[in-house]
Amino acid sequence: MMAIDNDYWQHIKNKYVTQPVHIAPLAVLRMVFGAVMFISTARFMANGWVKDFFITPTFHFPFYGFEWVRPFPPTGMYVLYGVMLLAALCVAIGLFYRVAVATFFLCFCYAELIDKTYYLNHYYLVSIITFLLMLTPAHRYFSLDVLRKPALKVTQVPAWTIYIFQLQLCIVYFFAGLSKVNYDWLIAAMPLKIWLHAKEQTPYLGILLRQSWSPWVFSWAGALFDLSIAFLLMGRRTRKVGYAMVVIFHVLTALLFQIGMFPYIMMAVTIIFFPASFHWQLIRLLSGGRGLPEQQVVLPWPPHKAKAMYGLLVLYFSWQLFMPVRFLLYPGKLLWTEEGYRFSWRVMLMEKGGTTFFYIKNPATGRQFEINNARLLTPYQERMMETQPDMMLQYAHLLHDTYAKKGIPDPQVSVASYVSLNGSGSRLYIDSTVNLATQRESWFGHKTWILPFKKNQP
Amino acid sequence: MQQRNILVAVLAGCIGLGVLISCGKSGDKDTTPVNNSKTDSVLANFGANIIVPAYQQLATTTAAMDAAVTTFTATPNAGNLTSLQTAFKNAYVAYESCTQFEFGPAVDQSLVTTIVNVFPTDTNTIKNNMTTGNFTIDGLSNFKAQGFPSLDYILYGANSATVVANFSTAANAANAQKYLAAVSASLKAKAAAVLNAWLPTGGNYLATFSAATGVDAGSSLSILVNAFVYDYDVILKNYKLGIPIGKYGASTIPQDPAKVEGFYGGLSLTLLHAELQSMQRVYTGAFEKKVVASSAQSNGGSLNDAIKNQLATVITKVNAIPETLSGSITTNAAAVNDAYTEATKLVVLVKVDMSSALGVKISFSDDDGD
Repeated sequence: MMAIDNDYWQHIKNKYVTQPVHIAPLAVLRMVFGAVMFISTARFMANGWVKDFFITPTFHFPFYGFEWVRPFPPTGMYVLYGVMLLAALCVAIGLFYRVAVATFFLCFCYAELIDKTYYLNHYYLVSIITFLLMLTPAHRYFSLDVLRKPALKVTQVPAWTIYIFQLQLCIVYFFAGLSKVNYDWLIAAMPLKIWLHAKEQTPYLGILLRQSWSPWVFSWAGALFDLSIAFLLMGRRTRKVGYAMVVIFHVLTALLFQIGMFPYIMMAVTIIFFPASFHWQLIRLLSGGRGLPEQQVVLPWPPHKAKAMYGLLVLYFSWQLFMPVRFLLYPGKLLWTEEGYRFSWRVMLMEKGGTTFFYIKNPATGRQFEINNARLLTPYQERMMETQPDMMLQYAHLLHDTYAKKGIPDPQVSVASYVSLNGSGSRLYIDSTVNLATQRESWFGHKTWILPFKKNQP
Repeated sequence: MQQRNILVAVLAGCIGLGVLISCGKSGDKDTTPVNNSKTDSVLANFGANIIVPAYQQLATTTAAMDAAVTTFTATPNAGNLTSLQTAFKNAYVAYESCTQFEFGPAVDQSLVTTIVNVFPTDTNTIKNNMTTGNFTIDGLSNFKAQGFPSLDYILYGANSATVVANFSTAANAANAQKYLAAVSASLKAKAAAVLNAWLPTGGNYLATFSAATGVDAGSSLSILVNAFVYDYDVILKNYKLGIPIGKYGASTIPQDPAKVEGFYGGLSLTLLHAELQSMQRVYTGAFEKKVVASSAQSNGGSLNDAIKNQLATVITKVNAIPETLSGSITTNAAAVNDAYTEATKLVVLVKVDMSSALGVKISFSDDDGD
């Protein structure tokens, strides 16, 4: 038995990890991803979001453990985005790739960590794809680095450099699909029932959306797509159909929802599933059709490096598998409490709206007054805070500190918060008797002051 | 061969995507209606039958007010002052039916609460302007000294005899007349410009408004819901009730009756009532059908009923406040607090339940979601 197992593992390891494969897919991914990041960063700047997101707000909602990440002064923020833009370009054309991809990663993560208001799953995806790109020699083929230093050129790289991206995308789609297997999505067709209904005036597509059954069709199709697409893309025979579905699915979501670059990023990175021959043809086309027989050069891959890399990848992917299921550590309904919600590939699952009335009480005088949130937060921050308990807690602490400075000794902060989730109708969200100023954030600790979600509230 | 086919397909896809990226997301700044897009019949009707008439009324009443200003400044006497005060009150009431539409033309022409209805008004600047005659009516430093609240102070800030004297026998009467005329003319011009921008014979924003379907940022429904919620939550609940009865602020005295809207003329409750009635019209005209179609529930009943009932309750509570609002704040705070409490409940219903049922995001700008 042991022997068979060993052979089997040897075979798997060889096929997916060590075996030299052509580098073309990696080079194409680098170019396409770099180009999309360039467009995405340019769009971010052109929309004026550097100012709106990082310069205008006086307060930010940092991620737990990253409170030290603060926005730079205005010029610094523009420089950060300028550097990011340049780095994306360098990644695309493969110029000073190692430095460029690391720079992009650091700049991008820094910006994302400043304020969780702006968290989007596809920003998270961008950071991890960039992280994985940092580990690979994606610049050693069809790049300016190779033109600059021909000795860099290799044609064969170990298989893992391609498969890590495929595995990552499988995780993304599969967990996105799993998160749709629930009552709200499949049986109640929520939140698509609300969202598609609102889109009935869309030209052409509207005819479909006006049908009463369309939310269910879209919900089930979406869940099945997410669950199966990784397998379709991996299968040699189903790949083309799979990619066609990727395009149709993401173009549809781009038409129906305001989700920015997400569909384009997904359509760009999923080309990594195409075989090396396809990518090689593409590069040949890009280089003017010269199909010179190229000399095989295998990337030197010393064992000590390999060991460290495999260790890192095992750790990384274990973490990737843990993050989406960590919500099981918390009691209560995930969509309601949002404990363990981020970094889990949960997209488009909620129509959630809320409002908060924050109160400050002076314990010395007993005088209580209400807070106008707009004085301290931007409308965007306020909207995100009003449905997310961890942000409410951060805001409560901000209020405590702000009014302590204004001379109220240890002000008490409470909130009357109403939230509606997937058409549930508004209901009280937070225990309004709790002084949030004394509550603390923690790793994996349940926030006991979130009231449980009651399905059928009278 | 097969490889080549895939290549062509992918390249074609990429070009298509490029086109999508370049055209797709610029939508919300685009003001020209797309030919093949269907209009939202509910919003089209609402724009034509509620919004445009509201601005028509404002344009008419501000023009009448401006004429009364001309008469009064030519012949400052008690009779002409009374006519002017009536004309002013009519215009102010008409304005309350427009505050739910502070987007598009209203923003372009600065006919918004933060410019033409900032209260309490800046009496020092007004006095200074009326004495020196030296001012820029729409200047940055003057925004708290113009609009309806400044007229409220100018026309009601003292007894009739004194007001008439300010414009006739006072040393700087000519400058006072000049300032009054400028404030009034500015309101008249803004109202006329906004009306023109909406009219099909003018800027035809009505067509843009009817054509921007959907619920994304930039869609008319999203803009209207947001404007409605803002007007209700921030302007009505916070500024008109909450601040004067001392719900906000740590160090201010608990109550500040001078911070009500229409303080000098004692117009607060009239204006509040006009605004609430307009909100009822907006709800029935623009949102009711959509809320009913969503079949959203609230505490076991329909959300539509809940919102309409709560709106009616708020109106009842406001009507129960004895005149004047500022007087009641000092002598009958319970009645005002009652109204505030009911107003707060309605905030939850429109901001959370209604927006959720319609799939509209509050404070939505052109940011991305996922």
